[in-house]
Amino acid sequence: MIRFGVSPWIGILAGGVVAMLASLPIGAVCFRLRGPYFAIATIATAQVLMLLFLKFRDFAWGAEGTTLPNLGNSPLMMQFDAKAAYYYIALAMLAIGLAITYWIERSWIGYYLVAVGEDEDAAEAIGVNTLRVKRHIYLISAFLTAMAGTFYVQYIYFIDPNTAFSFNVSVEAALVSIVGGIGTLWGPVLGTVLLEATSALLQSWLGGSHGGVQLTVYGLILVAVILWRPTGLLGVLAEAYGRVVRAGPARIREAPLDG
Amino acid sequence: MAEALVVRNLSKRFGGLRAVQDLSFSVNERETVALIGPNGAGKTTSFNLITGYHRPDAGSVFAFGRELVGLRPHDICAHGLARTFQVARPFGKMTVLANVMTGAFLRDKKPEIARARARETIDFVGLSAKQHTPAGDLTTIDQRRLEMARALATQPRLLLLDEVMAGLNPAEIDQAVALVARLSQRGLTIVIVEHVMRAIMAVARHIVVLDHGQKIAEGQPQEVVANEEVIRAYLGTGYVHAATPGEARC
Repeated sequence: MIRFGVSPWIGILAGGVVAMLASLPIGAVCFRLRGPYFAIATIATAQVLMLLFLKFRDFAWGAEGTTLPNLGNSPLMMQFDAKAAYYYIALAMLAIGLAITYWIERSWIGYYLVAVGEDEDAAEAIGVNTLRVKRHIYLISAFLTAMAGTFYVQYIYFIDPNTAFSFNVSVEAALVSIVGGIGTLWGPVLGTVLLEATSALLQSWLGGSHGGVQLTVYGLILVAVILWRPTGLLGVLAEAYGRVVRAGPARIREAPLDG
Repeated sequence: MAEALVVRNLSKRFGGLRAVQDLSFSVNERETVALIGPNGAGKTTSFNLITGYHRPDAGSVFAFGRELVGLRPHDICAHGLARTFQVARPFGKMTVLANVMTGAFLRDKKPEIARARARETIDFVGLSAKQHTPAGDLTTIDQRRLEMARALATQPRLLLLDEVMAGLNPAEIDQAVALVARLSQRGLTIVIVEHVMRAIMAVARHIVVLDHGQKIAEGQPQEVVANEEVIRAYLGTGYVHAATPGEARC
């Protein structure tokens, strides 16, 4: 894109498509694994790709990475003087992501996904092609993730293998969902807002004095959520809501998917 | 009468264990056939072989004009064979309605249509009052009802029921027998694995008896329960079949 002067607006879609294609072989291998092993395998794939890009410098730019040419204010090339412009693009992308997720949740795909997540054999028994469902959702998330990635590079004007295949980003993407609430529309949004804010605040309070303290606190929060509230913050909220509204021993567990 | 299911020379080994050996039987359309036998006789393995969860070492399974060996379970379900599991496997985090809708989506992807069909099926098995309950909170009999409703929502032509009556009390067994009888009256072909003999006698028109993975007898219920080898291997020498109220319905 940099070499050929293609607009990132097109690149963002092209990147999405490339990511979808790349996800096919990766998915084919990783879908043999279930649960946490699948997550570990996909994160490992990113690490392998990072090492490959570091090693083969002729193909990309190797470890030095590359800087995007600064064109000043150039909306067609997704470059702006005003920071607010990036904010609105990010907001629009969030809206697109949420709209797609909302649509998936309400449609048959949403039901199939929850079913596959709960019991693959039982899902197969009622006609769910579990492999295809997983492949489809993998394609959709690859596309959305790649869009976010292209935008990020556009924002920081720089790309190298360490940012592109960042271990932290891979883990964070999973963590915000776990903390917010897996399998919910707003869980990841809530998780992102809280975790990112916590992380930034902790860094400004503690980061200066003792290196690594903020990461320790951050880690403790995660462990606490996973141990005591595996349904995530949205699960906690749903439970509290159930207690207040129904006023009694009524309980809402993990906001069950209803027709 | 046309044959719905033809199992021919089906065999499966797990290591040194011959779980199913050279099993052949057939089921006519609209007929209810029971598979009985002691624990470990190969009944559930047979179900798993028919519905694509295990691949047989040898033999064929032919249903409604198509060979099923080599197909994946979801293909077999789409072809019109639905099964339940011995241990009910509800999607615990979903409500009863959402569970059954997931099955209904096989035939129609529109949520309104799937929802309507699911409601109908839930009503049929008698779970309407609990349609918004999370499936994980159901009692044993209700989980069995849900298991059946979910399978029925896929609109099967042949239903394979794996011990749907285990663990139920006598009154609940009567309800379950009535439910199976009503399904049969609707024209569904049913293969049922069961230990509850009075339920079998009430619903089955034909019985296949397995022992150590092999078929040791088959025939009409009355002749099977009088068969000496069946009595020795399974029923026990004291077995005398007494007519039950359930039988009258059949």
